[in-house]
Amino acid sequence: MIKFEDITLSYNGQPVFKDFSMEINKGEKAVILGRSGLGKSSLFSLILGFVRPREGRVLFDGTCVDEKTVWDVRRRTAFVDQDVSLGRGKVFEWFSLISKFRANAALDFSRDRIIGTMRLFDLEQDLLNKDISELSGGERQRFAIVAAVLTNRKVFLLDEATSALDKDLKAKVSDFFLLRKDWTVVAISHDPVWTGRPFVKIFDLEEGKWKR
Amino acid sequence: METVDISIAALTISFLLLAAPVFLSRVYRLGLVRPLFISIARMSVQLFLAGLFLKYLFLWNNIFLNLSWLTVMILVAVFSAIHGSSMRPKTVLVPGFISFLLATFAVVFYLNVFVIRLDYVFDARYLVVLGGMLLGNSLRGNIVGIDSFYKSIQKDNRRFLYLLSLGASHREAMLPYFQESVSLALKPTVAAMATMGIVALPGMMTGVILGGASPDVAIKYQIMIMIGIVVSTAISVVLTILMTARVCFTKYGVLRNDIFVK
Repeated sequence: MIKFEDITLSYNGQPVFKDFSMEINKGEKAVILGRSGLGKSSLFSLILGFVRPREGRVLFDGTCVDEKTVWDVRRRTAFVDQDVSLGRGKVFEWFSLISKFRANAALDFSRDRIIGTMRLFDLEQDLLNKDISELSGGERQRFAIVAAVLTNRKVFLLDEATSALDKDLKAKVSDFFLLRKDWTVVAISHDPVWTGRPFVKIFDLEEGKWKR
Repeated sequence: METVDISIAALTISFLLLAAPVFLSRVYRLGLVRPLFISIARMSVQLFLAGLFLKYLFLWNNIFLNLSWLTVMILVAVFSAIHGSSMRPKTVLVPGFISFLLATFAVVFYLNVFVIRLDYVFDARYLVVLGGMLLGNSLRGNIVGIDSFYKSIQKDNRRFLYLLSLGASHREAMLPYFQESVSLALKPTVAAMATMGIVALPGMMTGVILGGASPDVAIKYQIMIMIGIVVSTAISVVLTILMTARVCFTKYGVLRNDIFVK
C-alpha cells in the first residue's frame, strides 16, 4: 500500500534519511518507533507530498507520489497531526469548512453523523458550538480523529494522535483503528495501547528495520 | 474662480512655521530637526521636478506620453510595495506589476469614460492625476494584503498542510487566508470612507475646492475617487495574490521557503 524506495532526504543540509526503504501492506497496522529527530513525522510528510526526497520515491497503492498523483493520495489518506491546528471560529464551522472541499462533496457531513462520530470518542454535542480556542488539547485531538473518520478514508496516518488523551480514551481510539480489518493504519507512538497488540507490526527507525 | 498663486518668496514664509517643531524638538530633545529637514528638502525638490514635468505633460497632452508616464508610476509603485513587504522582489515583481497595471488602468478608464465622460479619455489632467491618486492610496493596502497572505500561511503552515491532507485543493486551502488578507487590505479604506467629511476634509476635495470648483463638485469627485480607490485596491490585491500564488507554492501546493527576504 505504502512503499518507500531508497529515500534520501535532508532538511536545511541536515540528512534525515539515506537510502531508506520500507513497505506497509494493505490492511496492515504498523507502529513507527524512534527517538525525536529521527524523521518519524517526515515519513508522513513524504507520503503526503509536504516534503520531497532528494533521491528515491514513495509509492502509494503502486503509484509514485508526484505533483500530479499527490492530490489523489491526500484524498485517500486521513492524517492526524500530533499538534493539530483547527484554526479559528466555532467547532461546527471547522466541519463545515472540510465538508465544502470538492473532494469531500460526496461524503456525509450531516449533523447527525458528526454527532454520532463525536460520541464514539466521548465528545458531547454541545462542543460543536464551542470556540476552537477554548478546546483542550485532548478535545482538539479527538476532533481531528472525528474529521479523519468522517472523510471515509481507508489509510490512516496517526502522528502521536492520542498523546493528549487519558488512558481509557487512548485505548478506545487505538481499538477503534486497530480492529478494522480493511483499514491500513500507520501510527507514530511509543504508547503500549498501540504497540501492545500482537498483530501490530513495529518498525524501529533507529535500526531501520521491522522489530515485529 | 482661479486659485491664488503663491510666489516663491511667499512659499518660503510657510517654512517659518517649522520654527514650532524645531523649537519643540530642541526643548524636548526629540531629535526631529535633521530628519525633518532632510524630508522637507527631498519633498520640495521632488515636487518641483514633478510640477515641472506635469506642466509639460499637460501642455503636450500626448497619448503615448501620458500612458507611458502612468506606466512608469505603476512600476515605481510596485517597487515601493515590494520594498515595504517581506517578499523577494524577483518573485513578486512581474505579477505585482501586471496586477497594478490592470487594476489602475481599468478603474481610471472606467471613471474617465463613464463617470467624468471626457471627450479625450487620455487627458493627462485626469489620466495621470487620478491614476496617481489610485496608486498612492491602494499601495498600502496591497502591501498589507500580500504580506498578510504569505506570512499567515507561513506562520500557520501546519494547519495549511493539514487542510491539504483533508482533501482541500490548493485553492480551497488558500481560501481562508485569502479572505482574511483581502479584507485586511481593504479595511483602512473602508474605515476612512466611514468617517470621511467628519474627521477631516479629504485631500482630493481640498484640491478641487482650491482649484476653484464649488464644494458640491468637490464632494462628487471625492466620492468617485474613494470608490475608485477601494475598487482598484480590491482588484490589485486579489490579482497580485492569485498571480504570485502560481510561483510562491510548489506544484505540491506547499509554500516555498525562498520567497521571503531573509
